[in-house]
Amino acid sequence: MRRGRPAGTAAWNPRRVAIAGIAAGAAGAIAAVVAARRRIGRLRFDRGWAALQLAVRGGARYAGSAPRLFAAAGEHRQRLRHDLALQTAEDVATTLGAMKGVLMKIGQMASYVDDGLSPGVRRTLSRLQDSVPPMSADLAAGVVEEELGLPPERVFAHWDPEPIAAASIGQVHRAITLDGRAVAVKVQYPGIAETIAADLDNVALLRRMLRVAAPSQDVGALIAELRDRVLEELDYRREARNQRLLAAYYDGHPTIHVPKIVGALSTRRVVTSELADGARFAELAGWSQAERDLAAETIYRFVFRSLYEVRAFNGDPHPGNYLFHGGGRVTFLDFGLVKHFTPAELQPLMQMARHLCVRQDPEAFRRSLEQAGFLRPGAPLSTATIVEHLAVFYDTIREPGPRTITGEYASAVVRRFFDVRSPVAGYVSIPRSYVILQRINLGLFALLGELTATADWRAIAEEIWPFVRGPASTPMGEAEATWRASRPAAAQSLA
Amino acid sequence: MTADPYATAAGLVTRSAAAYVSGVPRSPADDGFFGPTSVTWRVSTDPATPIAGLRSLLMQALHPLAMAGVDQHSDWRTDPVGRLAATSAYVTTISFGERAAATRAAAHVRRIHEHVRGVDAVTGRPYAAGDPALLLWVHAALVDSAIAAGRLFGTPLSPADSDRFVAEMVVAAELVGVPRPQVPASLAELERYISSVRPELRCTPAARESMSYLLDPPGLDEDVAEIWQDVRRGAIGALPAWAREIYGYGAPGPLTPGQRTEIRQALGVLDAVFLGEPGVLEARQRIALRMRAARRA
Repeated sequence: MRRGRPAGTAAWNPRRVAIAGIAAGAAGAIAAVVAARRRIGRLRFDRGWAALQLAVRGGARYAGSAPRLFAAAGEHRQRLRHDLALQTAEDVATTLGAMKGVLMKIGQMASYVDDGLSPGVRRTLSRLQDSVPPMSADLAAGVVEEELGLPPERVFAHWDPEPIAAASIGQVHRAITLDGRAVAVKVQYPGIAETIAADLDNVALLRRMLRVAAPSQDVGALIAELRDRVLEELDYRREARNQRLLAAYYDGHPTIHVPKIVGALSTRRVVTSELADGARFAELAGWSQAERDLAAETIYRFVFRSLYEVRAFNGDPHPGNYLFHGGGRVTFLDFGLVKHFTPAELQPLMQMARHLCVRQDPEAFRRSLEQAGFLRPGAPLSTATIVEHLAVFYDTIREPGPRTITGEYASAVVRRFFDVRSPVAGYVSIPRSYVILQRINLGLFALLGELTATADWRAIAEEIWPFVRGPASTPMGEAEATWRASRPAAAQSLA
Repeated sequence: MTADPYATAAGLVTRSAAAYVSGVPRSPADDGFFGPTSVTWRVSTDPATPIAGLRSLLMQALHPLAMAGVDQHSDWRTDPVGRLAATSAYVTTISFGERAAATRAAAHVRRIHEHVRGVDAVTGRPYAAGDPALLLWVHAALVDSAIAAGRLFGTPLSPADSDRFVAEMVVAAELVGVPRPQVPASLAELERYISSVRPELRCTPAARESMSYLLDPPGLDEDVAEIWQDVRRGAIGALPAWAREIYGYGAPGPLTPGQRTEIRQALGVLDAVFLGEPGVLEARQRIALRMRAARRA
């Protein structure tokens, strides 16, 4: 995949790796963070560069959707992996037990913030992902039969025993239902839920690793949040529920498409949805900037509409979870990691945006930060300092007018956010319910930066902000307004 | 006793990985001395291998003459990581290499051993690295450690498979110069042999010093250092009680299930780090493919 910027410009900054501690906690992350903290890291630094260069030469395999698709890994590799297919549940436990499944999940959560991971960590996680072969046709069929009561060739009119893609803890098969719909069937590795749950019940090691990796973080809260999210994701029924919710909300939307769930064929370990096809994120590199801008606008609208209207945030904005159709139309996939907010949790977020961007009242912004638990009340810092350091996420929406989100900007946001030497670092913390939000925020910037997307983000935000409800600011906004007007009032906001 | 400072252990993972990759052939002419259906291949691919390795070094060091040979002759102090990597390359080649490669590697070791002779300062006894008695101790410690580590932290071998493993490994001892009739060929023989050597074992200053280094190697990459604590706990926990006593590690009591899980997890993380090194995944896959093909046949 073509990267949005040359390899050398922004990719390796020792401070930035702190995010790996937040989101990954993988062993390699620890080394990177420790080295960064001591600000020595010469050796690590050199190794990091070498690994980065390798990654760039090798096409940055972990970036984009490639690692999730067997087909993308090359013919020979595909055959090799097929030969190595997991045959039994014991094979699954051997391959993904002893923290490997947990590391993979955590790594997946962290992976979209490309710049947040040191090359060493990225390499480790990518190889870990590579090291998991697909299930054999029999093993996958066995799971389908256990879950749906009949072997796949009887549940479906047609069943393709070759997986088309790897999911993080399962794989995706193509099938045609008895009533003739083309579907994607995600099948979970047997025993994986139990294996990962067992590892997450024993967190002494994880706690030690994270304490080294991210000393400034509340490790207990981090583990609790990770544990909840990972265990949630192991139950595909939740994913089906999330996807159904968002598919219903976006039904008829001009550019946002969420494939419908086939409820009768979805269970704890199997989830069946409409089959979608389209261009992968990596292919966008070859599209015109106008197309890329439209795709970015749709993703932006999707993220913030989902947050403010459905009170749901997709925690996995991995580039592999989008399919692009041109004209800004985007299909959103994989709702395994959706965070739902209560109105009380959402309120402070709105207040922060409102006070800073709309009312331009820094003192009120500060108070809402304190109320939300982001900032310790009474911190001996001037409000100007706080705004300078914490308003970083709002840079694109504080003023109206078109802004281009570059890779450098996205990196700067991450860097600023995780700057342990910043004067505010000692007074800031992320309350548990917002841990995931911050990650996704960073992930969104990384994606938009990758697209070097330009838009009047403020105007779009105003359309979406419930406390502004501004007029349509783009053709897409107009189409969206028409769509909203055509819907029954009850469906306009599920929040 | 020399007091040369030890070099740091930086690069331990990278160099061990390179050694491992070099020992796994790409298109082998034959299956070597063990082959894909052997218990040896299964044991050698067990995730508990790092603990088996550390435990066998701890056991081997208790033989004063074996320890003296290392202490007085090898480059162990100046290049400990290189020394360990060479050992793991050797063990990998013997296990997975073609017969010709394994035989060549063994001949190389025997040639080096010819020059390793001297007098142990502690016991005053002369030693020679080519002495079958010393080679046999080193061999037995390795075989015993693989079984013990697998039992606690990996996939335990059945009694029958343990016997098969000990019997398969006889050829490894033979390759470095121990006459076949002297080599234990069953688990019971192995245990009897180890008991028979026990009176000779002790913790010499050289053993204490080099093992302290190994248990807490300075300069390790920080991630690996964190994990190494668990490998160390596992290796000490897997030692026979009498060996722990000789070292004076005290009797920590049996590891709790929680501790064992933590150590298994640490092995998994270490393995993930190892997999991140160039060529390791491909080498693993070469072995796995051959084992699978053999199982199908």
